[in-house]
Amino acid sequence: MTGPYATTITVVALFCAAWALISAAANRPRGLALLASGLVLEALLLGFAVGGIVQMAGSDQNLARGEFVMYLLGALAIPPAAFVWAWGDRSRAGTAVIALAFLITPVMVLRVQQVWAGSVG
Amino acid sequence: MADRGDQGDSEALTGPAPTGRGFGRFLVAVYGLFALAATSRSAVQLATDFSEAPLAYLLSALAALVYVVATVSLARGDMTSRRLATLAISIELVGVLVVGTASLLLPDSFPKATVWTSFGSGYGFVPLVLPFVGLWWLRHTR
Repeated sequence: MTGPYATTITVVALFCAAWALISAAANRPRGLALLASGLVLEALLLGFAVGGIVQMAGSDQNLARGEFVMYLLGALAIPPAAFVWAWGDRSRAGTAVIALAFLITPVMVLRVQQVWAGSVG
Repeated sequence: MADRGDQGDSEALTGPAPTGRGFGRFLVAVYGLFALAATSRSAVQLATDFSEAPLAYLLSALAALVYVVATVSLARGDMTSRRLATLAISIELVGVLVVGTASLLLPDSFPKATVWTSFGSGYGFVPLVLPFVGLWWLRHTR
């Protein structure tokens, strides 16, 4: 949960977020590359969610299980929802929506880790 | 964050509703995020330990409802939705101010956090700013 895999997600998400923000600021039209970066991130998040739930099932550690799963699924749901909503708007606002989703992902990963560590009740 | 995004807005004839376009597209996304956050938090709270802090948990559920209604109505943007959005965002404004103040003055009544506790400090104070932006946007697009 706190290993290099989670760090990778955070780094990829921040990198994509920076890219999306620059695109939005420069008013560049969004392209397929942005979609591809979203797919990469989503694949990583899927692995995170599956791995997290498997790890949770195999652990007798005392943690808020409902919250843990909720955060994992939430992190998984945000990028696709953002892309669907953003794709309806060709302006920079659409790109900003995607940037927002990328920016939120590290926060979600952090919350998953906090719940795993039991520091959030 | 205050990216207007109005330029380069090449909407088709069947483009989205005015409140969900340009900056509104972004605003709806932020509301959607809070709808998700508040709904999940509230669902977990109500399902696991409602008796522990009924007031806080009911407020969480109210916050969740308000965010969901605001998100959907801002995204739709027709006349009825617009009224609904104004109502929801007004409740949101009152809620964050009242709960924010109360949680500071009477911390014992709020043993568990809601989205609005301490004016939304757990969410970077975005819950405090959001209703003002929302109401401004509704006026702006009128």
